[in-house]
Amino acid sequence: MAHQAHAYHMVDPSPWPLTGAIAALLLTSGTAVWFHFHSLTLLTMGNILLLLTMYQWWRDIIREGTFQGHHTPPVQKGLRYGMILFITSEVFFFLGFFWAFYHSSLAPTPELGGCWPPTGIITLDPFEVPLLNTAVLLASGVTVTWAHHSIMEGERKQAIQSLTLTILLGFYFTFLQGMEYYEAPFTIADGVYGSTFFVATGFHGLHVIIGSTFLAVCLLRQVQYHFTSEHHFGFEAAAWYWHFVDVVWLFLYVSIYWWGS
Amino acid sequence: MRSGNQLPKKKKKVKYYTSSACCQLYFRLEGEMAARLLLRSSIRAATTCRAAPVPILTRGMAAGGIPTDEEQATGLEKIVMKAAQQGADPYSMLKPKEYAGSKADPHLVPSITTKRIVGCVCEEDNTAVVWFWLHQGEAQRCPSCGSHYKLVPHELPH
Repeated sequence: MAHQAHAYHMVDPSPWPLTGAIAALLLTSGTAVWFHFHSLTLLTMGNILLLLTMYQWWRDIIREGTFQGHHTPPVQKGLRYGMILFITSEVFFFLGFFWAFYHSSLAPTPELGGCWPPTGIITLDPFEVPLLNTAVLLASGVTVTWAHHSIMEGERKQAIQSLTLTILLGFYFTFLQGMEYYEAPFTIADGVYGSTFFVATGFHGLHVIIGSTFLAVCLLRQVQYHFTSEHHFGFEAAAWYWHFVDVVWLFLYVSIYWWGS
Repeated sequence: MRSGNQLPKKKKKVKYYTSSACCQLYFRLEGEMAARLLLRSSIRAATTCRAAPVPILTRGMAAGGIPTDEEQATGLEKIVMKAAQQGADPYSMLKPKEYAGSKADPHLVPSITTKRIVGCVCEEDNTAVVWFWLHQGEAQRCPSCGSHYKLVPHELPH
């Protein structure tokens, strides 16, 4: 096999970046068409293409790494850098929303009554469901660490159990937040309080769903023996992402739910 | 001062469990005598392998159910792993070895063909790198600092 003299992975040509770009175009234009002309066609097509792109692209990465052995140590190092940089970019994304929240809440305008929470806003009690949510996410941080150690120590049954438990806790959080959203005495349209609350916690909830999905894929792979006790970066990336989601929640809880109430 | 029953510190809990789990299998299959021998040698292996670069073959699938790289690595990852176990670095992943650069101890430059580009950082922190082609045969000297470089043939694993 005449091949490279380096340990890096020169990826074969792939159509998924193109389909991903087309999906991005359909999603953006589709959103605009939906807003102005009430048609969901473009948006739906964009979503389907996005899901197909993600599924096939990541499936190809799993094939290249797990089944073909292209993920040598330098390649894995690059993937680690990539995940860290991505999570860092997400940190900055959330930083923006926290900036908006503190900008509005530290110097409340006369229109709000000069106070925070604004006049007329009935806030959620931080020591009820939000506190339970905090406990749920912290517990899920423990279970995902348990899963990691189980994988490193070669304990298949425990790895599957702890990973499943982590995902269930993630679903429980999403369910509880859904209930809170339904029962909340204020909406996103209720001034800057509603805007900052639902945009920040809403994006966080989306990230919980993304994180849970990532962990679920890891569970599927673990059941199918993809991970070895030394090499399981897909799982580590999911665990990092999950811890990030947990930390964002802690900041949300302290800033918006507790201090902001 | 006596501090009562102190368990010896088990550093690598993983290897200890795996080797004893292996042993339980063997007790049933091969009989007590052979199993006792295996237990003794596996304990010796478990306590000595911390220093050795070659890992003992932990029967990942037989023990906890999660495979090890030894069992499951494939393709280039496996080639790199096997070479590293032998102390080799065929894909130049590590920093080049350090040599004196003198006539008696020239820098040895591995190459898969008859020539390779060399970049000499003559003194530490130099920002201007001296680039030149190093050819097969007699050692060449850096045009700037005079260090000796010699091309050595290098086979890629197949």
